[in-house]
Formats: sequence, C-alpha cells, structure tokens
Amino acid sequence: MRLAKKKALVTGGRQGIGRGIVDAFLGEGAQVWTCGRGARPEDLPDVVGWMQADVSQVEAVETLAEGLDTLDVLVNNAGVQVEKTVVDSTDKEWDTVVGANCRGVFNTCRALIPKMNSGGAIINIGSISGHVADPGMALYNASKAFVHGLTRSIAVDHGPRIRCNAICPGWINTGMLEAGFDLARDPAAARKDALLRHPVGRFGHPDDIAAMAVWLASDDASFATGQMFTVDGGMTAASPLNPGMF
Amino acid sequence: MILKGKVAVVTGGRGGIGRAICDRFEREGATVYAADLDASGSLGQPEGSALFLKLDVTSEDNVRAVMDQVASEQERLDILVNAAGIEIEKTIEDTSLEEWNQSFAVNVTGTFLTSKYALPLMRKAALGGASASIINFGSYDGFIADPGLAAYCATKGAVHALTRAMACDHGPEGIRVNAICPGYVDTPMLQSFFTGDGSGGGDQSIDQLQKAVRDVHPMRTYGTPEDIANLANWLASDEARYASGQLWVLDGGLSAQVQQMRL
Repeated sequence: MRLAKKKALVTGGRQGIGRGIVDAFLGEGAQVWTCGRGARPEDLPDVVGWMQADVSQVEAVETLAEGLDTLDVLVNNAGVQVEKTVVDSTDKEWDTVVGANCRGVFNTCRALIPKMNSGGAIINIGSISGHVADPGMALYNASKAFVHGLTRSIAVDHGPRIRCNAICPGWINTGMLEAGFDLARDPAAARKDALLRHPVGRFGHPDDIAAMAVWLASDDASFATGQMFTVDGGMTAASPLNPGMF
Repeated sequence: MILKGKVAVVTGGRGGIGRAICDRFEREGATVYAADLDASGSLGQPEGSALFLKLDVTSEDNVRAVMDQVASEQERLDILVNAAGIEIEKTIEDTSLEEWNQSFAVNVTGTFLTSKYALPLMRKAALGGASASIINFGSYDGFIADPGLAAYCATKGAVHALTRAMACDHGPEGIRVNAICPGYVDTPMLQSFFTGDGSGGGDQSIDQLQKAVRDVHPMRTYGTPEDIANLANWLASDEARYASGQLWVLDGGLSAQVQQMRL
C-alpha cells in the first residue's frame, strides 16, 4: 500500500488513462477524488469522490479546491485533442485545446498547490507529442510542450515542498486507437505496422501509465522531480525509418 | 569566399560527405587538406582537388606525422573536420569484439587523436582573435536507434559527449567545437545500409526502398553531401563565432516527428 493515507485528485478520471490512475491509486490505499465535465460515472466506485468541474474554467476549479481541505497528490490528466494543422484550426479549437490542456493545468496547480502537504507530488500528463510532432495535431503537440515546460517550472519554484513530474505516454489503447485503425485503408496492415514500431511488441494500456503514476506519487520517487518520464514501449527510442517494414 | 585565407584538414576527405566539404571549403577560399586512407576514398573516385594526406585516424604515429606536415607547410590550422567514420550493420550479439573495437577506433578514437594533435596548431590560428573551429561528425543515430546498427549508434553517442567536453575545455582558447548530426544522406554508407545484411528490405527493389525512405521524411527526400557541406561551411566560418558545444541535427525534419504509422 504505497499510497496509504495519501489524498489524491485525478482530473479527467471518467475513462481511459485517468480512470486507470484512479483505480491504481485506490489499490495502493489512497483516498481519491476525480472530476470531469459531466455527471458522476455510474461505474465509479463509491469510495471515490466525484466533483463536476471543467478544469479550463477558473471559477469551477476554485469551487473544486474549496471542497478539498488538504491534498498530497495532484494528477493533471484531463485533456483534449484536436486533429488539425495550424492553418485548419479555428479560434474556438484554440480555446478548447489551450483551455483544457494548458489553462486547465495552470488553474488546478494555482488553486491547489497552497493546499498541498509538504512532500506532495504533482503528476502532469504530457506526451511524446510534446517532444516530437504527430502530423496534423499542431495545437495538441504545442499544448503538451507547454505542460512539459510548466512541469519544470513548478518543480523549481515549489521544491522542496512539492515534487512535480510529467509522464509522456506513447500510443495507449483507449479505444481511440482501435477506432483510428478501423479508419485506415487496410486496418490489419496499419495495426501490424504500428505494432512493429513498438520494441515491446504491444500497444500501451492505461495500467502502464497508472503504474508510473503510482511510483511518481509514492515516497519511492522522493528524489525525482522536474522530469519527463516517457512510457511508450520504446517507440521513440527507435528511428521512424526501418527499411525492414517497408 | 567566407573561408578565405583559412587552413582546413578534413578527415575522411575523399569519402561521400568529406569530399563535398573539401570542395566547398576550396570554393570558399580555404587551403584544404583531404586526409583519407587512400586518395580515391570510399567512392573509389578519382582524386579530388584538395591536397591529399594519407591518414589512418586510428594510428597515433600517423596522426602526429600528418599534423607535423601541416605545421611545416602552414604553421597553423583554422578548421578541423572529423568526417572519417565507419558503420557496422549488426546487433551487439552479431558484432565481433574486433568489429566493435574498430568502430570505436575510427569513429571515437580517431576524433580524439586528430583533435588532440591538431590543438597546438589551432591555438596558433586562434591567436589573431578569430576563432578556430573543430567540426565532429555525430549522427541522428546518436539520439535514437536504427535497428541493427548498435556499435555505430554507441560511437555517435560518444562523439556527442566528446564534442561538448571539448567545447568546454578549449572554448577559452578560442577554439569552437561542434558536431553535425546528419540523418539520411546519399553516400556510399547509406547505399550500403539499403543493401547490407542488417537492414533487410524483404524482396523489394532498392528503388522501392529508397522511395519509401524518402517518403518518411517531412521534406520527402534524404540529404545530399552538399547539404552537409553547407552547414560545415557555416560552422567553419567566422559567422559562427558564437556557436560552440552544440549538436546540429540536419535530417530533413526526420527526427522532429513521431513515428510515421501507415494508416
């Protein structure tokens, strides 16, 4: 029980990676709250606190913070993705992506850092796309680079009281991935090609990210701060150019 | 003519990239020595126009003798380009100790030896206020791995670290040290990668492989030796007087992107 007696808030815990982190934190003995824009998910365990909040809205985050007396672990997982180039992106899409992915992380950190106990940990969900570009995802890629920069700043400004790290997931099988393959001209070939690019021979699962989040939240990671931890099955360690695949 | 009056030594100077650098430096007004194992180099082409120095970069005696010759003819050295390199196309399991040692001998020890014995001459070049410039050859593969090139990847990572260390140590003496990290450049080494045992292209033709490789690049092409020479020219010149200790990736945008899935 590596997170016993710790109070944790995971934003965007309805599904996918966020939900995986909520479940893992529960398993390690933490008291967990999560939030999202909609109503409480029916399948959320009763012991998990649900707060309805859109992290891109300052007032909503302030209200959320008032509901928590203290906090040990903050996981900024809530995020959105728009699949467009700069030229195709609208002002509204800018507000959506930057609002959730950048402003959202800023809002929760500003509101909750003062409430966090000494020894607390912030874990931001960055992305491999913050280091290298996914084609046609300009604002998303840029928003994740913002998350990486803010992670370092918080680590520097709020250490030694609080540690702050980011996890950079690669391709995580959340349903969106399979939907993407189904849209391919040859879904089977696309799946095979994508798998070949992963040295571990499989795609990621929310549990893989949750495992890193548990470690970063635990006292085992008490010397880890200001860093980006890539969990991508080895994909970005390999060159995209592998003639054996062509 | 931004290198007018400068003296340059280019190791691997009769190979693909080295030869292009020698040609460019000469056009920019430098006195250029092409140092290589033999005068025709890895392309097996006729001798180039640059002055030829027979050099095995893994031999300390040979390196010392070559620098002595440059000293007696020119008295100083403004530019050293460490472009000599080899590539073993194998995983570590298939790589013999001899191949491993030879990779390090040429790519890492060679860079060390030529730089070590060039330094006294380069200090003299820096005395006049202009900086001297060492240009090492790192690689895209020093950052991320190509399959079946383990020893090569490791040597290039070593060159990157050596570049920063040399820049720290010799910056105060007026010597700048940078590394160029090429991606895929059309050289004998790249053509060998297409056809070599390690790459494996199935039953596809080399033309098909080359097109597939070009298409993975954001610029939809791989580089030419002249592209690399353009950057070497700038790093060698006084325009780059504030550039030191850096790893300059030149790869048509290849490493800026996440892996290109074929969807």
